[in-house]
Amino acid sequence: MNKKKKVEVKICVGTACFVQGGADLLLYNDFLDPEVLSGCEIEGSSCLDSCKNAKAEVADVDSKPPFVSINGKIYGSVNQDRFCKLLEEAVNA
Amino acid sequence: MLELNNQYTLMKRRIDTDVLRLFFDDRLEADADKLPFLIIPKDRIPNRCCIYKERAMVRYRIMALLGIDIERFDDEMKPLAEYVQEIMDEDPPAVPVLTTIITGCSGCPQDQYRISDACRGCFARPCLANCPKDAIVFINGQAHILEDRCIRCGKCMEVCPFHAVVHIPVPCEDACPVGAVKKNEQGFVEIDHKMCISCGKCARSCPFGAIVERSGLMPVAKMLKNGEKVTAMVAPAIEGQFPGSLAQIKAALLKLGFTDVVEVAEGAEVTSIHEAEEVVERKEQGKGYMTTSCCPAYMELINKHLPFLKERHSTALTPMAYTAKLCKERDPQSRRVFIGPCLAKRVEAARTPEVDGVINFSELAALFIARDIDVREMEAVDLGDTSSFSDCREFACSTGVAGCVLHRVSQEDIRTLPVNGLDKKSVRLMKTWERKAPDADLVEVMCCEGGCIAGPGTIVKPALAMRLRSGSGIPAGKVAASVLGGRPAAGGSTPASKMPSKS
Repeated sequence: MNKKKKVEVKICVGTACFVQGGADLLLYNDFLDPEVLSGCEIEGSSCLDSCKNAKAEVADVDSKPPFVSINGKIYGSVNQDRFCKLLEEAVNA
Repeated sequence: MLELNNQYTLMKRRIDTDVLRLFFDDRLEADADKLPFLIIPKDRIPNRCCIYKERAMVRYRIMALLGIDIERFDDEMKPLAEYVQEIMDEDPPAVPVLTTIITGCSGCPQDQYRISDACRGCFARPCLANCPKDAIVFINGQAHILEDRCIRCGKCMEVCPFHAVVHIPVPCEDACPVGAVKKNEQGFVEIDHKMCISCGKCARSCPFGAIVERSGLMPVAKMLKNGEKVTAMVAPAIEGQFPGSLAQIKAALLKLGFTDVVEVAEGAEVTSIHEAEEVVERKEQGKGYMTTSCCPAYMELINKHLPFLKERHSTALTPMAYTAKLCKERDPQSRRVFIGPCLAKRVEAARTPEVDGVINFSELAALFIARDIDVREMEAVDLGDTSSFSDCREFACSTGVAGCVLHRVSQEDIRTLPVNGLDKKSVRLMKTWERKAPDADLVEVMCCEGGCIAGPGTIVKPALAMRLRSGSGIPAGKVAASVLGGRPAAGGSTPASKMPSKS
């Protein structure tokens, strides 16, 4: 069985994202399915520039902080619920 | 109490930020009346009945942010621009801190227990057997509660094996520790300011946002914009509220325009030394228990509801008051702004001539975002010599104050008792102390459960705040995050103290 590459997850902890709900995502140990968690490499990252830079390549149309990058693709308005779903999709992809 | 992060708090922060942006761009007076339309656009799917009510509520929120006492000075004919003009000319009075938005109030029905369809009409019927008032009857094989007999004790809810009994509270009344939140004749919220201790629990509990804090942010924003000399006095609870170390937070505050940043922990040291002496003296003289005096909501509680404790609380001033005095000695010209998690602090500040303004962490975050300041990107600055008072940063957590006092007492037999959170129950307990003294020498009272880190003006949940305070919480990757075509990461220039390897 070949080992699957871990999903690279970056949670934006720039001040704007952090106070608009990004801080909640840092509690991922408490709410994320352990199986999904084991397939991810999660880190806190500096500003992903999605809030300031309107031209940034953002995957969603209506995107507000907090932003999360999953395998290089940026998602906005991520709450705990959406975080779980996105990671689950990415891990099982 | 509502979860800290919800639609309402996020909306609140967004409004704060948008108002501040306009303010610093000199466009607030011109554009304030456009804000409700920009924040609630036509195509939004409303959370309230319609977008028009949402816009009206945004308007009220802006008024609260401007510091208008909505309860008394709500004039629907008056454009926001006029309110802005007024507060630019003169700062509104600081108290009362809380005000209500009657039109936002949903007029929740009276607190009640109800038995839902989940009732299976079981044979054991523990609800029937445990009800102290015989208020349960069975109709068509299902339990029902007789409203006129029910005393809302909740026994039936506790014992039902199917969780068929639901408690439907009135959140604001439920949260108020002193019964100051009531309904008026029309069934809408009303605060009895003679009883209110300004703890802010009602405002945090209302899911409709009908109780709001009259903010003290604009007077402080004015000071910053005018380039006045202002010292920021940061409460110990600030650590863990932003994604960066204390040194980075200080740097961000300086960038914001504060001329100096002083930790209130410094004043907390004076408080704990004073309280340590006092508690020992009282014990030696056999005077009985002493309570702490640093929680302003508790002090309001004493003044308004438990006057017998006036002889019991420590005569030490609060950390904020000592810090403000220290700052005034060092630089009499500079103005002094307290930045904390607390709402009741504004009542105390109004009585403390050394303090010129109070804002909370959530408002500070709005200031940071409006000025495009990212705490995490800041270069850490020197905090100075904090060795004597660094342990007093624990004043922000329950049992922390007593710990700091004990630390400064040589005797070892001081018994402490924490009152962790004021609610109806703990207030009832404290009332009994008039007749029967508590079995302790030092009683530490904190209005917010968990301490100031759970205060109404905080940004992150206490559990996460604790983790961030201990240095873990933000996971660092293997490579010090150089981000997707973005700027170089903060990792190189900032101290690694707050970014340890994966927790």
